[in-house]
Amino acid sequence: MKISIDIHVNGEQYPAEVEPRTTLLEFLRGTLHLTGTKEGCGLGDCGTCIVLLDGKPVNSCLVLAVDANGRRVTTIEGLAEDGKLHPVQQSFIDNGAVQCGFCTPAMILTTKALLDKNPDPAEGEIKQALGGILCRCGSYQKILNSVQAVGKGERK
Amino acid sequence: MIRLKAFSYFEPASLKEASEILTQHKGEAYPLAGGTDLLVRMKREAIRPAALVNLKRIRELNGIQSEKDGGMRIGALTTIADIENSTVVHTSHPVLAQAAGVLGAQPLRNLATIGGNIGRASPASDMAPSLMVLQARVATEGASGPGEREIDKVFAGPGSTTLSDGEIMTAFYFPAMAPATGAAYLKMGRRSGGGDCALVGVAALLTLGSGEARAVRIAMSSVGPTPRRANKAEAVILSGTITEERMRDAARVAAEEAAPITDMRCSASYRKEIIKVLTFRALQEANQKAQGGQAT
Ligand SMILES: Cc1cc2nc3c(=O)[nH]c(=O)nc-3n(C[C@H](O)[C@H](O)[C@H](O)COP(=O)(O)OP(=O)(O)OC[C@H]3O[C@@H](n4cnc5c(N)ncnc54)[C@H](O)[C@@H]3O)c2cc1C
Ligand code: FES
Ligand code: FES
Repeated sequence: MKISIDIHVNGEQYPAEVEPRTTLLEFLRGTLHLTGTKEGCGLGDCGTCIVLLDGKPVNSCLVLAVDANGRRVTTIEGLAEDGKLHPVQQSFIDNGAVQCGFCTPAMILTTKALLDKNPDPAEGEIKQALGGILCRCGSYQKILNSVQAVGKGERK
Repeated sequence: MIRLKAFSYFEPASLKEASEILTQHKGEAYPLAGGTDLLVRMKREAIRPAALVNLKRIRELNGIQSEKDGGMRIGALTTIADIENSTVVHTSHPVLAQAAGVLGAQPLRNLATIGGNIGRASPASDMAPSLMVLQARVATEGASGPGEREIDKVFAGPGSTTLSDGEIMTAFYFPAMAPATGAAYLKMGRRSGGGDCALVGVAALLTLGSGEARAVRIAMSSVGPTPRRANKAEAVILSGTITEERMRDAARVAAEEAAPITDMRCSASYRKEIIKVLTFRALQEANQKAQGGQAT
């Protein structure tokens, strides 16, 4: 059984036929070849598969593609505009927050969602927001610094 | 990559239709809400549903509304994040927002629903204890029409509810909190800042009147096969004026009446210690909030 869906990803419509068992993560990576979204555990524990669904961070390994039908998805590939990195991406580079980079897309997207709601979050709020994402390289302090740097008006 | 096994998929637009599909499948089909529990169990092959019935296109399952009598209705498909951030919840039944705020991590809370949390009937549910101390009522719709039951009558055992095949939870009703009432939910997990299931969770609610408890309810999770009330501890609180000593006694009794297990997260004896500590602190917090005069 295949089902027709039409998902809006990074500003473009993607009509497709999917099996119901296809997760949003599999759809993004396997069908659209947007491999910036990572799969760690596949079970909701690690947070590396986070994308924005209608602007909110969610674990894409726990969402069925059919369930994202008609909704708006933002992945890490959708943040740069006209070849210019998003301020959060730039801040992660400037502050050395990236080691292997596996957690980075999720960290950056979750930070973007947080700052869109609250441009200058307190340290506790940042930790709450990013608490669901594991960084196996242990870059947490530099990630926190990067988020705070964007919060402190270094954002456009 | 963990792949889900194939299943058929339905997206009914009405409750009646959803209930019919579920009934036809005789236990082989599951309602799909946030999917944060269901998809994990399917990936782990703990269950293998023939069909999933997505509830999300059914309008009436959404939303948080205050009722004329000071009570509140929360649709079963409301997300944990929406409960955590709702001004209605913060104003009328803030303990629910406190519990929602410690369930998993934020991205998970954007998916997870209250109906799914109760539908899972996990012994470690973070929402169940608060629903129990608030005496929530659960509205359902099924093959035999609409129904309603108390939250205490929903859990049958670990992972199992008293709902029949095709019976769907539609909403939770919370009676108004009495004046001079305070309530708190405290959870101990392995990770602070979210992500992990409770080692122990305790909700306490106190209504005060001239230094004594007019009403008290204590409910615990991760302490036995289902979330449960601590009736004996409640009796201790009702036996006289509220003092720190009486709250400590009640906490000790709560730990005695609980029957926690040893698992990969921690030992039963450690859980008993946490029950004691959390019950005392939850009672203290509820007491302080009750003295604040408002239902906070
Ligand atoms: C990483 C991780 C961390 C977690 N941490 C916590 C935690 O800290 N605390 C906690 O309590 N839980 C936790 N959970 C468990 C789970 O996320 C929650 O219980 C959540 O609230 C389930 O809601 P859902 O909408 O995703 O349910 P679903 O997965 O959609 O459904 C769960 C069950 O309920 C049934 N169901 C759903 N809606 C209804 C309805 N309206 N009527 C009848 N049956 C229904 C489904 O058929 C299924 O059997 C965690 C899960 C993960 C993956
Ligand atoms: S891959 Fe989705 S949370 Fe780990
Ligand atoms: S930078 Fe390697 S996992 Fe975070």
